[in-house]
Amino acid sequence: MTGVAGAQDDGTGPSGDEAGPDAGADDAGTEPDARFTFANERTFLAWSRTALALVVAGLGIVQLLPPFPGVSWGRHLIGVPLIVLGALVAVTGYAEWVRNQRALRQGLPLPRSVLPVLLTGTITAIGLLSGVVLLLSAIR
Amino acid sequence: MAHPDDPEDLDPGLARERTRLAWLRTAISFAAVGLAVLKINVPAGVAVLALVPLIWQSGRTSGHDGAARARPRRLLLAAAAVTAVALVALVIVLAHGSSPGFHPPTQARP
Repeated sequence: MTGVAGAQDDGTGPSGDEAGPDAGADDAGTEPDARFTFANERTFLAWSRTALALVVAGLGIVQLLPPFPGVSWGRHLIGVPLIVLGALVAVTGYAEWVRNQRALRQGLPLPRSVLPVLLTGTITAIGLLSGVVLLLSAIR
Repeated sequence: MAHPDDPEDLDPGLARERTRLAWLRTAISFAAVGLAVLKINVPAGVAVLALVPLIWQSGRTSGHDGAARARPRRLLLAAAAVTAVALVALVIVLAHGSSPGFHPPTQARP
């Protein structure tokens, strides 16, 4: 982008090639403080890295762990939900970025994030599942 | 006022710099995942590693024009990339069947 759009633009016009159709940036409202926009972007990126970490954890569990004796599907039972959770966190993180950006533009309070609950719930469930798999493997 | 080149004036809260670094961290995360996938399936690993410069570049061009505004395209690209990596991992995990797992090298017998 050249500086043509940036110099005098008050942020209400479309911002060249960066403006998508469902952008959350094209809504009514005013351009928020740049620090807020950047902070929202960093939050999204942090969730993206969390998602990648979940994916690589799931991948590692299935591919690197030796099989549980007697519970041949044990590794998949633990690893696949982690990978699915990773995809879910990535998509939800983007949706929440759009929502937050919209709220920032309109000066509304930021909506509550569902990601902490989603992450806590799923990881707790996976932890319990791992315990069950270990017990089954020990019994056999 | 006395220091027009004060970084606080050019980049309040160093928000831009921190955001650029956040993109860099994300690119490094992609590299880590790509290397892990590379060990299991070479073409898939190469595909994931190809995303690294894309993500890195998204951060480097962060707000070179004066105004900092939302960049939905780039964020959508990043979110799509993470989701794609997750789907690739899912396919690998379901298709490669049962791997023997990683066994640490056993001690050589004397």
